Amino acid sequence: MHLLGSINFPPIGELLNWKAILFSGSAFSLNKIGLITLAAALITFAMFGLAGRKAKLVPTGLQNVVEYAVDFVTNLIVLDAMGPEGIVWVPWLVGMFFFILFSNLFEVIPFIQMPATARTSVTIPLALISYITFVAVGIKKQGLGRYFKSSLVPKGVPVALLPLLIPLEFLSTFIVRPFALAIRLCGNMLAGHLLLVTFAILSEALFVKSLLLIALPLPFAMLVVVTGYEIFVSALQAFIFTTLTAVYIGEAMAGDH
Amino acid sequence: MDNFIFGANQAFNPILPATGEIIWSVVSFALLLFLLGKFAFPPVKKIMAERTAKIRNDIEGAEKARLEAERVLAEYRTQLEEARKEANRLVEEARKTAGLVREELLAKAHEEAAEIKRRAEESLQIEKERAMSELRASVGDLAVELASRIIAYEVDRRSVDPLVEQFLAESGVGSK
Repeated sequence: MHLLGSINFPPIGELLNWKAILFSGSAFSLNKIGLITLAAALITFAMFGLAGRKAKLVPTGLQNVVEYAVDFVTNLIVLDAMGPEGIVWVPWLVGMFFFILFSNLFEVIPFIQMPATARTSVTIPLALISYITFVAVGIKKQGLGRYFKSSLVPKGVPVALLPLLIPLEFLSTFIVRPFALAIRLCGNMLAGHLLLVTFAILSEALFVKSLLLIALPLPFAMLVVVTGYEIFVSALQAFIFTTLTAVYIGEAMAGDH
Repeated sequence: MDNFIFGANQAFNPILPATGEIIWSVVSFALLLFLLGKFAFPPVKKIMAERTAKIRNDIEGAEKARLEAERVLAEYRTQLEEARKEANRLVEEARKTAGLVREELLAKAHEEAAEIKRRAEESLQIEKERAMSELRASVGDLAVELASRIIAYEVDRRSVDPLVEQFLAESGVGSK
């Protein structure tokens, strides 16, 4: 431990606890996380705004990117998970996908290097929004009684098993789902963030300590590899979160189990 | 190294959410959904729908044009076939007509030739008869003249002979 003893590895709390920039002390205290989520929202809005403002029948540049994203969400998320009647949810899910994607991608943006989604403060509200939405859609489409019946009572199961299955179904649909959504996203991004921090600190320490400079290429190569991997994870987690939300809403709309 | 990870004596818990962050992330996300749904998404969706419609129209138009072209082509083929048949029919008819005309002309020519021959024979016959009658008349005349000359010159046979010879030479009948 004495070789690396001089490495100042910060406590995890220090990596995530950002000081307020505005409204310090109040409930509205705005820190780096809040700024990142605002930026993610504004970038998404600007992207669509710019693409839509100069929209041409033959798309170029940004319009291509945006249209590809819309096609992607429409075909690979909405139509797969919800069917044709899910089309109305495309703007909503496109927004969710890009909001999470950009919040994630700030993990690898130089000088920011913090995924807002590594904070449960961001993922729990998102998961709750998704949760409230699919429950509300289920109740609206099927009615309160039928919705809970279709989600709690599996079809074709012996009556004797129902006392066991109904609590399980309740647990899996109404308790575990939002929890899993929030924890999956936050856990993945937090882990990625810690990996990047670890290799960055190692590389930095080795760069400074001249004797150990020969060992530098290893952690530095890892840093590069992990950075690339985290870009992939950012997109993958945004896709997973959005797809699951679409699946839940689609299931609530359709009503079959 | 007490608080290396999850330091126990830290007031900040990395897993628990912070109020300000919750509020700002919800505000950001709600703002994004509102702005996107209200302003930014519809133009993109509109242009995509327009393109879809245009492509569908173009494809349908092309399909229509193709069908029309095929129909016109079939029509032209039929017309061409009809025209060819008509042409063949006309040629055949012309050939038949020509044959008929030829035979007719030949028959007529034969007839005419026969007629000409007949007429020629007729006129020949008339000429011959005329010549004969003329000859007969001149022979009679000659005979009369000869007789009268013989009567006029009562000479012997020896003195008559040169006369006869002379007469014949004058009339162009004898003298080989």
